[in-house]
Amino acid sequence: MSNRVEIQTVWQKMMGVDRRVIYVIVALVMIIPIIFPFDLPIRVSERTTQALFDAVEKFPKEHNAMLISADLSPQDQPELYPMLVSLLRHSFHRRIKVLAMCLYANSLGLAEQAFNQVVSEFNNRATTDEERIIYGRDYVFLGWKPPPIVPILGLGENIFDVFPKDFYGNDLNLQPMMTNIKSYRDMDMIASIAANSLPITYVAYAQARYGIKVTAGVTAVSVADFYPYLDSGQLTGMIEGMKGAAEYEKLVQEKFSDQERRMACEGMSAQSTTHIAIILMVILGNVCYFMQRRHENRRGV
Amino acid sequence: MNIATEFWTWNAAILTIAIFSFLWRDNPLYRIAEHLYIGVANGYSITLTYFNVVVPMMIDPLVNAGKMVKQDGFSTAVLNPFNDANFFIILPMMVGALYITRFIPKISWMVRIPIGLTMGYYTAISIPASFEAGILRQLEASIVTRAQLAEFWPGFWTIVILLSTLATLIYFFFSTEQKGVLRPISNFGILMVMIGFGASFGLTVMARISLAIGRFIFLFKDWLGVVS
Repeated sequence: MSNRVEIQTVWQKMMGVDRRVIYVIVALVMIIPIIFPFDLPIRVSERTTQALFDAVEKFPKEHNAMLISADLSPQDQPELYPMLVSLLRHSFHRRIKVLAMCLYANSLGLAEQAFNQVVSEFNNRATTDEERIIYGRDYVFLGWKPPPIVPILGLGENIFDVFPKDFYGNDLNLQPMMTNIKSYRDMDMIASIAANSLPITYVAYAQARYGIKVTAGVTAVSVADFYPYLDSGQLTGMIEGMKGAAEYEKLVQEKFSDQERRMACEGMSAQSTTHIAIILMVILGNVCYFMQRRHENRRGV
Repeated sequence: MNIATEFWTWNAAILTIAIFSFLWRDNPLYRIAEHLYIGVANGYSITLTYFNVVVPMMIDPLVNAGKMVKQDGFSTAVLNPFNDANFFIILPMMVGALYITRFIPKISWMVRIPIGLTMGYYTAISIPASFEAGILRQLEASIVTRAQLAEFWPGFWTIVILLSTLATLIYFFFSTEQKGVLRPISNFGILMVMIGFGASFGLTVMARISLAIGRFIFLFKDWLGVVS
């Protein structure tokens, strides 16, 4: 009898464990695979990542421009930054003209950093002027214009009215790339990289009014909100959190033999081990709860 | 081990550790990092707003219009809101300035003017857009067509979506008591809602883990250089 009471006390003790013990366990299962990484197969999701990759692959020559709305911020950088970098690498490999803008001020620094990183990767490898990525010819960074609804609607009418100058203060109409790009009519797709509902805003205002395709790169926490729009065909593919970014990195690497750093893939082994640890802790927590309840019922508490 | 030598990498690493220290307990190091973040973020936003909005959209048109009048004399062109140089901008500026009346009790009612204008604009612009994208297209997507049933799994999931949509709508239909045939349908609806919540929780965990992993990669790879 005394032995049984001792076992029941263990359940109670486990339920009351200091949360800092759990933090240490989670930190360890995260850090060890980062220091000693191991390869896990990355399975590409057909409906989401592959669909977006295919859409970029099938970009028509007559509308060879994509608008990237880079609305990432430091707090969602580990998920969204690798997506933006992979999408830029893919676009530049395919020589798609990229027009980028931010709808929030705190996105400007990270968006510019992503462009600088990818452009220097391409230019370091380039041997001819054709292979280089040149500002104004291959991409233009429009910068930021608040509130979000103004550029979203304004770009459907005339880009130059909303952004007379680019992020660096140059006259937009003097950029060679812009001679054939005046509004959404001259683009094939909008890629909204955001941690909030901005992709839905693009669907509601830009797609419904101007008929342009919209795709999204979103954080895992908000993915569930976008599935209905994916199912209805309003979103053309989607990158879901760090997992989706790793899938996109894999697709770009396989297609173009791109050997640059794959930031999202670096975190995949740590993500798997942490998920296993959390699943085990959820199961353990529930077992402890039910065993403790059973013990109390038997004692008639 | 290839530890970083750049000042800003060290700066970011120390601030990351300072923020993580809150997991142990609240402490002065965490407070410093927190206040620094808020201060820098606000300062950055205010500066960008000033140079990207206030100067090009408010100050420049007025200054340019003033120069035009001084050079060529007054003309109706400086009242045209579509010109780069115009005095018309004073009107929306005055309406915007009415927000400040909130702090003057006698005329605080005037704050309703800019609030009313803003609400009216956004309501008018968002109702048709939300209706089209969020209701009509979603309704259209829930219709089962013969083409969707051509293959087993896509057809199966289409039917699941249709049934769960109907059941969830019935669960949230409060105008009549849910008994008889409505009861099992409503129970199926709540089951679907619970599965949805579970999926959202799982995705939230995945997102938070990703953020922590991002920081640990920064600390161990970019800062300490212990990962090749």
